[in-house]
Amino acid sequence: MPILAPPRGFRDILPTEARELRAIERALDETFASYGYVPIEPPMVERVDGDSGLERERLMQFLDRDGSLVALRPDITTAVARLVAQRYRDAAGALRLSYFAPVFREEPAMLGAEREYDQAGVELVGPSGPLADAEVLALLAESLARCGLRDATIEIGHVGVVRRAFADLNDDESAAVLDALRAGDHVGAFRLAADAGMRDEALGRARNALSARGRAVESIDIDGVDELREVIHLARDLFAGEPLWGVPNLSLVPALPYYTGVVFEAHHPKSGFPIAAGGRYDLLLGAFGTPRRATGFAISVPRLHLALFESGWRAARERALVSLAPAGTRDTAQLAAALRARGVVVAIGAVAERAGLEIVDASVVDHDHVRVADGRVMTADELARELA
Amino acid sequence: MSRLRFALAQGVLLSDALTALRAVGLDVSRLGEDRRLVVPSGDVEFVLARPSDIATYVERGAADLGIVGKDVLMESAARVLELADLRFGACRFVVAAPRDALERSLDEYRHLGSLEVATKYPHVAEEHFRRRGIQVEIVKVAGSAELAPQVGLADWIVDLVATGATLAANDLAVVEEIATSTARLIANPASYQLRRREIAPLVERLASWAAAR
Repeated sequence: MPILAPPRGFRDILPTEARELRAIERALDETFASYGYVPIEPPMVERVDGDSGLERERLMQFLDRDGSLVALRPDITTAVARLVAQRYRDAAGALRLSYFAPVFREEPAMLGAEREYDQAGVELVGPSGPLADAEVLALLAESLARCGLRDATIEIGHVGVVRRAFADLNDDESAAVLDALRAGDHVGAFRLAADAGMRDEALGRARNALSARGRAVESIDIDGVDELREVIHLARDLFAGEPLWGVPNLSLVPALPYYTGVVFEAHHPKSGFPIAAGGRYDLLLGAFGTPRRATGFAISVPRLHLALFESGWRAARERALVSLAPAGTRDTAQLAAALRARGVVVAIGAVAERAGLEIVDASVVDHDHVRVADGRVMTADELARELA
Repeated sequence: MSRLRFALAQGVLLSDALTALRAVGLDVSRLGEDRRLVVPSGDVEFVLARPSDIATYVERGAADLGIVGKDVLMESAARVLELADLRFGACRFVVAAPRDALERSLDEYRHLGSLEVATKYPHVAEEHFRRRGIQVEIVKVAGSAELAPQVGLADWIVDLVATGATLAANDLAVVEEIATSTARLIANPASYQLRRREIAPLVERLASWAAAR
């Protein structure tokens, strides 16, 4: 007996789930497009070189026939940075790109983690300043809302402010502190800072900044806090949404090292992990030889789907599916064509996979007449009207 | 909103953890009353679990907060927030070798190019020797690593020691210290943002309790 299950970390997405994912994809595509973002499709495989952001051991990598090391893409942002450096090197103005595509990451075994999942997101390349940061923030909030997600909050921080909170340290020391914060180790970060000779008063100020969320951020006096507040106000002008969807929060230091300015994460009470994350990454394109300002976000589609499902969301009802029991091949063919011409969804024969669709059983009487479950015989026209 | 879920490690850290929680005003009287592993208490729900599972629970959001040793966090590499050093449960990760055989094992390393290291903590051991540029073969054992050199399973061990008495009793000496460890207050990153209003005062009280000790 051959092994039928896909390799570890990969799985088949069956129709009920696939239909829901399509509904999410449509909602996201429409929202991205409404802000002027156009779709892009980078390749599944990228060269492994330099600093891709993600740790090497989390890449699914293999050797190409010419001996070069390649990997299934772990995110789209790095691919977009590479692509922009190659294809839009001299482009002036703003580049607005969107995607909905699978990414691949090696996860430790036995945690139930998937190695392939869909990410949806945008990259805004070129513009900088509060309006650009606010645009991607508002777009994330509006995207989640248009998918039907309620009660999401977006935590908005600023990596530059956090960096400046440790300005007393030299470059190496502050880099080590930032590394610890990216790993979530606040204890280690403050210990490093203290060991490097940061004074108690400055440590206290940094500690206050790192725990400031909401109104408390207003009392933080570090360069960049005003910018953070302006970005949030502008984002709320761009998309009003639910009250208080955006919360200033300086404790937010994302794990990925390429962020430089305003950063954010979308959270939902039903998800133990952030649903989406993003921010300004002005240095990443420089690593590909084309210094350009850039910001963007990526939504983890499975986490968004989970949060939607847990809050009772279901994909919008599609039209019922008529399961047409055949009688005479030509009559069946002509009746199916007549029904479809009137907008009825028809499958010939019994349906093995309903995918959550409503099924209407019917049988062929002749080329223009059908019998429905309660015994009534009607014309193709009448059935089409009844189902409309 | 649901109760804040607080995961506590069963075992050596538990009594100190309960002392700390009691000191900051949480009611822990019903913990250990019977064999229940989920114990509601006011606004908090306590969950008792194996130390190595605490990091997993908190990482995945099954618990919002946890108290667990830094040693467990180092070995699991779980992505959680370490918010406060609670300063109890002190122990050290060390490399240890048979007291009389250090020179012999170094000679072996020169000739054979690799050392065998037995440990319950393969990630910590591997990371340490990679950083030091020493070629080792890690032998994962489930318990009593100090046995390994005596029966020829490995040259050295990487183990967690509190007093060093077990090492001494088995004729092992510390070659070097890898890291020190104490209990940490950890949080799920998403919970820390969404439930900051409930979590922040607990962090503050536990941190000042630890600082005052």
